[in-house]
Amino acid sequence: MTTFKPSRPKHHPRGASRRQVLVGFGTGAVALAGGRALAGSEGDEQVAVAPKGNADQLQRQSFYGIHQAGITTARPAAGLVTAFDLIVQSPDDLETMLRLLTERISFLMHGGETPTADPKLPPPDSGILGPVIEPDNLTITVSFGASLFEGRPWLAPLKPRQLVRMTQFPNDALDRDICHGDLAIQFNANLQDTNIHALRDIVKNLSQFMVLRWSQEGSVPVAAPMEDGREPTARNFLGFHDGSANPNSTDTALMNEIVWVGPHNDEPEWAHGGTYQAVRIIRNFVERWDRTPLREQEEIFGRAKATGAPLGAGPGATEYDTPDYASDPDGAITPLDAHIRLANPRTRASEENLILRRAFNYSNGVASSGQLDQGLLFIAYQADLEKGFIAVQNRLNGEPLEEYIKPVGGGYFYALPGVRDPGDYLGRSLVEAVRRRATSPS
Amino acid sequence: MRLIPVVAASVVASTAAYGLALAADVTLELVEPITEYKIYVAENTEELVKDTEEFVAAIKAGDVEKAKSLFAPTRTSYEAVEPIAELFSDLDVSIDARADDYEQGEKDPKFTGFHRIEYVLWEQNTTDGLGEYADQLQADVTDLNDRINSLTFPPEVVVGGAAALMEEVAATKISGEEDRYSRTDLWDFQANFDGSEKIFELLKPIVSEQDPDFVAKVQANFDQVDETLAKYKTDHGFESYEKLTDSDRALLASRVNTLAEDLSTLRGKLGLD
Repeated sequence: MTTFKPSRPKHHPRGASRRQVLVGFGTGAVALAGGRALAGSEGDEQVAVAPKGNADQLQRQSFYGIHQAGITTARPAAGLVTAFDLIVQSPDDLETMLRLLTERISFLMHGGETPTADPKLPPPDSGILGPVIEPDNLTITVSFGASLFEGRPWLAPLKPRQLVRMTQFPNDALDRDICHGDLAIQFNANLQDTNIHALRDIVKNLSQFMVLRWSQEGSVPVAAPMEDGREPTARNFLGFHDGSANPNSTDTALMNEIVWVGPHNDEPEWAHGGTYQAVRIIRNFVERWDRTPLREQEEIFGRAKATGAPLGAGPGATEYDTPDYASDPDGAITPLDAHIRLANPRTRASEENLILRRAFNYSNGVASSGQLDQGLLFIAYQADLEKGFIAVQNRLNGEPLEEYIKPVGGGYFYALPGVRDPGDYLGRSLVEAVRRRATSPS
Repeated sequence: MRLIPVVAASVVASTAAYGLALAADVTLELVEPITEYKIYVAENTEELVKDTEEFVAAIKAGDVEKAKSLFAPTRTSYEAVEPIAELFSDLDVSIDARADDYEQGEKDPKFTGFHRIEYVLWEQNTTDGLGEYADQLQADVTDLNDRINSLTFPPEVVVGGAAALMEEVAATKISGEEDRYSRTDLWDFQANFDGSEKIFELLKPIVSEQDPDFVAKVQANFDQVDETLAKYKTDHGFESYEKLTDSDRALLASRVNTLAEDLSTLRGKLGLD
């Protein structure tokens, strides 16, 4: 592994020197050197000294675009999804809230000096990132739940057509305290502290409109490059690569087909540029999984655990090899009920069920049983929720993996179209559609 | 009313001691509202002593139903003045601690006061074994009343009390964990909001000069809270917490957090540290 040594060890590099540092890294090195992992490498630092930041903290994602950031954007190490109930009683409330949210997000994603105030007043910023906020690759992605529309007659006619309250699948044991919400925010950043800072900023500034409902943090482990230099997917808490078959998120045409809602979808016009978001908090019974024979684990997933290669794919195969189900119709190599085979049968027909997954692993301490409460904060984006997540999950119902997993929370949301420029605001197309309806004769 | 000159003098003395050089004019303006507030608190603690006598008498008489009916109304005069009552942390713990303030929960003998009595009345449906706790409650509230009457009210505690009450509701009450056995939480909510709004009302004339928008926003949020709670009023008090709908709870949560957020700037606005 490449080791990262900051040029000025006691201080976070600033200004021109920071740019030099950034230029000095190959992208692979930056990804590998990942922040805190190397905090001990200096050897003679005091315990109290903070872990060192690195060039990753300077990475900035643009807030502006036809789509929101944080969906097809590369996935950083730290994720957080928080759902809220909204106190929004009129179109004016909705607009005020969305403009305020836009203002906060554009500041948080850009970074900069935190505002100050008379010391007799509470400080405007929590200060947990210090007086200067680095962008740290932060994306903040806002989505609406069905309840926001359904509870408000002036919004109900504009609900995205497939947006419904998440219903229980056969293996689910949904806990109402960690389900649904009028609004969800996905925070992604290199460091979890950056997500937490952003969440606290939004909670503080939007309390008039937003009430916390539930929140789940997650993380993505680092992975070494493969022998051929390609970058692998991350592993989930069952030890398997997760996302091997994800569609290429850098392929704009493909994303326009799979992820982004547009004129070709039967959706209200305001929703163009948005996407359906399925969030699932999926508990993993990790102790039991760790007591399961390796061969059985691999047959349950349909992949080799070490490499992620499809079963029977031969020596040197990787997770990116395409499984050949056509020559294995009876499941002699990959069982017919293996997770990846059910999720994506690789047929022409199943192409319409492709979804873009963006998952994080979570660890929530100890369950009441005395076992570890760990699992997957599953997030998937798709232009068609029914053909996407819902169809895939319906195929997975009854899979052998269910012995080891239990979906307990989450919800369906609609990620809003992007904010095009500094004159725009989140959800403007929806607010304008509401106002047009109010003024047009019915 | 005899109190007033004494209080006024002590307020000025204590503000001088707090070194509020810049706030000289403001602290003079604060004399009257703080005097008024002291009277409000004194009236409440006097009421608390009186109501507790009745509550204790019902317990001693073994009248479970009467004791239950007096539990919530007796508490309200304590809840309304919590920012001041809490200055005496020994009494606050003895009077108002909850089972989860103790590692052993309800089994802990140090779990006393209103919530111990509430626990026995509702969970065990008896007054048996409550005599000692009732006597202690009476002694504690009497002691509290005496101590408060001889207290010089620190201006920053009074002004900060408006937000402190909202912080209490936001952190540990909105969820319905305060009166978990009796489900009389809405009585407490109303008393907490009333106590906070009282402070705000007294300070409003001073604050509205410098920040009328702030005053309007805070007032609107108090009004919405009052309207929401009014939906749950009954002839003799409030509905059970269990009747509170999810949407009304969310509304109260947003208003209480925003009131806490806004009222947390009151001290600064009045130049108090």
